[in-house]
Amino acid sequence: MTQNLFHNKTAQWTVYVVFFICLAAVPSFVSDGFLLNQFATYGVYAMLALSISLCWGFGGILNLGQGIAFGLAAYGMAMTMQMQSQDASNPLPPFMANNSLDHLPFFWEPFWSTGFGIVLALLVPTLFYVIFGSLMFRARVSGPFIAIMTLAMLSALYTLILDMQPYTNGVNGISPPAALQIFGTEIDPYSTKAYWTVVALLLLTTVAAKLLTQSKFGLVIQALRGDPERVRFLGYDVAFYETVIYTVSGLIAAIAGCLWVMLVQYVSPAQLDVNFSITMVIWAGIGGRLSLLGAILGALMIQGGQSYLGDQFLNTWLLLLGGFFILVVRFLPRGLAGLLEKVLGMMAGRQRRDPDAIAPPRVVGAPAK
Amino acid sequence: MDITRRKILKGSTLAAAAAAAPHLWLPTSREAWGATLKKGEPIKVGLLFSLTGQLAVPEEDSTLVMQYAIEEINKNGGIAGHEIKPIIIDAKSDFNVYSEKAKELIMREKVIALFGCYTSASRKAILPIVMQQNSLLYYPTCYEGAECSQNTICTGPLANQHSKDLIPFMVKNFGKKCFFVGSNYVWPKESNKNAKLWLQNAGGELLGEEYIPLGSSEFGPVLNKIREAKPNFIFSTVVGASDIAFHKQFKQEGFKVDAMPIASLTTGEIETKAMGADVGAGHFLSAPYFQTLENPTNAKFVENFLKSKYGKNGSTHYNMEETYLSAYVFKYGLEKALKKTGNIEEVTSRMIRDVSGGIRVEDDVSPEGLIWIDGDNFNTWLKPKIGQCQADGSFKTVYQASEHVAPDPYSIYPNSGKCTADGLVAPDGKVRKNVI
Amino acid sequence: MPHIEFASVVNALILGLSIASIWLIAAIGLTIIYGTVGVINMAHGEFIMLGAYTSYMLQSVFGLPFLLCIPASFIVVAAIGVVIERGLIRYLYNRPLDTLLATWGVSLVLMQGVRIIFGSDPKYIAVPEIFQSNVEFGFVNLSVLRIFIFGVTAAVVAGTVYLFYRTRFGMQVRAVMQNKEMAASFGIDADRVYMTTFAIGAGLAGIAGCLFGVLAIVLPTMGTAYVVQAFLVVVVGGGTLVGSVAASGLTGELQSIFAMISNDTFARFLLYVLIVVFLRFRPRGLFAVAKARR
Repeated sequence: MTQNLFHNKTAQWTVYVVFFICLAAVPSFVSDGFLLNQFATYGVYAMLALSISLCWGFGGILNLGQGIAFGLAAYGMAMTMQMQSQDASNPLPPFMANNSLDHLPFFWEPFWSTGFGIVLALLVPTLFYVIFGSLMFRARVSGPFIAIMTLAMLSALYTLILDMQPYTNGVNGISPPAALQIFGTEIDPYSTKAYWTVVALLLLTTVAAKLLTQSKFGLVIQALRGDPERVRFLGYDVAFYETVIYTVSGLIAAIAGCLWVMLVQYVSPAQLDVNFSITMVIWAGIGGRLSLLGAILGALMIQGGQSYLGDQFLNTWLLLLGGFFILVVRFLPRGLAGLLEKVLGMMAGRQRRDPDAIAPPRVVGAPAK
Repeated sequence: MDITRRKILKGSTLAAAAAAAPHLWLPTSREAWGATLKKGEPIKVGLLFSLTGQLAVPEEDSTLVMQYAIEEINKNGGIAGHEIKPIIIDAKSDFNVYSEKAKELIMREKVIALFGCYTSASRKAILPIVMQQNSLLYYPTCYEGAECSQNTICTGPLANQHSKDLIPFMVKNFGKKCFFVGSNYVWPKESNKNAKLWLQNAGGELLGEEYIPLGSSEFGPVLNKIREAKPNFIFSTVVGASDIAFHKQFKQEGFKVDAMPIASLTTGEIETKAMGADVGAGHFLSAPYFQTLENPTNAKFVENFLKSKYGKNGSTHYNMEETYLSAYVFKYGLEKALKKTGNIEEVTSRMIRDVSGGIRVEDDVSPEGLIWIDGDNFNTWLKPKIGQCQADGSFKTVYQASEHVAPDPYSIYPNSGKCTADGLVAPDGKVRKNVI
Repeated sequence: MPHIEFASVVNALILGLSIASIWLIAAIGLTIIYGTVGVINMAHGEFIMLGAYTSYMLQSVFGLPFLLCIPASFIVVAAIGVVIERGLIRYLYNRPLDTLLATWGVSLVLMQGVRIIFGSDPKYIAVPEIFQSNVEFGFVNLSVLRIFIFGVTAAVVAGTVYLFYRTRFGMQVRAVMQNKEMAASFGIDADRVYMTTFAIGAGLAGIAGCLFGVLAIVLPTMGTAYVVQAFLVVVVGGGTLVGSVAASGLTGELQSIFAMISNDTFARFLLYVLIVVFLRFRPRGLFAVAKARR
């Protein structure tokens, strides 16, 4: 019996290895600081798409609020980097003095320490996801209601950060004036060092996510996507599984948030903007949310297109982009990765699976098939 | 930086493809790349404004007027015989794009200067890269100040200049009681801090201060509060689409402009045109420029601009005029730097900025009349004017300062220090560079 | 807490009703589309925007009076809705979450298309002089426009209720909602029902757009400001008509009261948090329809 190569684990791992070797080879061909920085930023977007693929594609949890983890971590990192430019004689970031603060707020104090600051930048969003996730999933919120709850939470945080101007500099955000200093060296955002950091962490998170999806835990998660009620009847603690996958995806987004600030030295409420979180979902949807690598490539493709074609087509770019989404969704329900799956399936002689075998997540209020 | 070294580096990039791990011995980007000018080649500048999205309303006009100014300069011989070549980028109203494209313009296109941004948030997004690469940003609009970067030149009014005459004017003509309404972000809050000082000096009284979320169009609650407070006039720093909704609802809710006019820092010709007939009429605006300013330079500017292919939106307003001026400030700065070195290939962005202090745009070029760049903080000395909106949406100048007002980015934060060309000098004598 | 006067509370409550009617008219088209067809329509804000531009164009080009622009917007946007439904949405009925992606693409295309045609400078819709005035009853102040919007919203709700609960078409819609196959076996053309419902939903967004163009501004990006609010109303209401009415009433009043005692930004923050808390306890909205499990 011939098997669809797409589902062959060895083939999958081979593709991953090839992909990361390609990424690792980039600095051998590119010495331009701008390009390295740009590719590293794409790496961060890829990590976000990966996190969405994990919770939406595999867990069936449509998370429109991934900006929560990304944004909170980005603020943590920006605070850490900002404090590196302050010293005991000048402890106050300039924007605070302009907002009539005369001493550093207590929750800024821990960020004097770079290590502690980064740990907090990762820990705070992760804990937030644990609490918020278990609240949602224990209440058996599902389908589009998760999407809206995460969206409302994101909007609430966005509004809060915007309003807390003395502590966050409101809409202007925080621009740490110097590059990140860590382990005694400076990570120049335009250097190979910064690029390697991003690629290494992307590799780490991708492998972890891949292993997770192939584990027994991952199988239960995928069963949840199909029908949570049946999984519940089988005696699994559905809320626990959902919370874990949601939190893991949040942690990956948080790592992405830290790296992003390292690369661009800037954070503002725009990182928690609803549109940005929807964009992450679009990356995963276009690339193929059921494939981690598909989602990653979706992010690279759309952001790359935005950077390189956006200015060629000035006026028509958004028309083209929108039209492209419409076509992909209309004809390729599982994104570009789904197309590959189909093609490989045909090459294998016969299709072992019905293309719709993996049911889309159920929606309350949706018309019956 | 000399040419030969860069050539070697370019060669090494090619060699890089063959070598095993060239990144280990290639110098880091900052040493290898930098903006340069070449004899006989066009001077590249970047225009980083949003042509789509929420910010497109003011920024598309900035791009258009900038193209017009560049065309005008090129037609009159360019800069020392060199044409200016604008590279136009759409920042899509997205701060991530601002940051990415600023890097591209500075590091790849190697533009000698950037003209860009309308909101402070986008400026803060691109300043880290501008400062790190020692590039130069012309920021052509009003802003709050409280910033001392060594890589920017601003041609709009600072918060300390903007409302200085407006508040006493309103107190004198309408009464002491005032109500502040602003969009909820940094610039309105800073502007209001300055306005409070002027209000206090004029013997006025502040009845309330309200901030509306950016982009909101629901002014019901605020107007209810204003109705109860019964001020003599309203001081507004509401921006963008919200500003238009504010004026419309002000009228719809039965407020009368004669009894309680709105004195605004933002409601210019684009806004009054978009409100519809009569809605804006009678309200006040403080700005260095109105389309109707009566002087020969402005008459020529308005006429030529509107009939050029860039005048499609049908008006010139303060923000466009400030952008127009920035093109000339750049031209004069580059010429001055050139005079100093004698060789255009040696001129760097930083050098242009260093010689830009004191540059004057005379009233035969500047539609708003003579302005000059401050030698310490590189903001602009100008004369704010007060205009009253007419039924057709244009402004009638009702007051003009007799003397130029000095820009002072730290006027309300004397403890922070004084901004100089080399950095912020704290009261204890320490100098800090790039305070943003 | 500051001293609060009786008059301001009354004014805030009345204003709350007005805000509620604005939220509701923005959300009602979405409610119908989501509740009946199950489509998560991210292009709803752009339908609102199209309604505003339709009125602007009819008024400035053909000189149509404002009051006629309202039904005209309904018809034009409903027609655009039919085109989008036939060309795209109908292929996605069994993939509801994918409609989110596809309609997001539609929203990009509509927004940029309008920008290319009309430019990015703001437009306005002229209204009769009466809408530029207000009425006073003692200490209560109301603008005529707000009363008008409230009236239009009430009429639209009444019309929708009539259509869905008192007509043959409404019965068909409800039959299809409950069980598509069963309805089909009774000879109901579900495809047609979906198409008509989608068109009506789009048309109602068009009416909202026409009104918002007067209240605020006409811009290619104007829709984005309303779409998140509309979604919150729909979801809190559970996707039913009565749910949306109650949800918008609640959120409108809360927004007005919070804005009176604190400020507008904080009011929004509180509102979002309350919605999250609310969904925690009623995960399927205020008036969720009990669904039979199959």
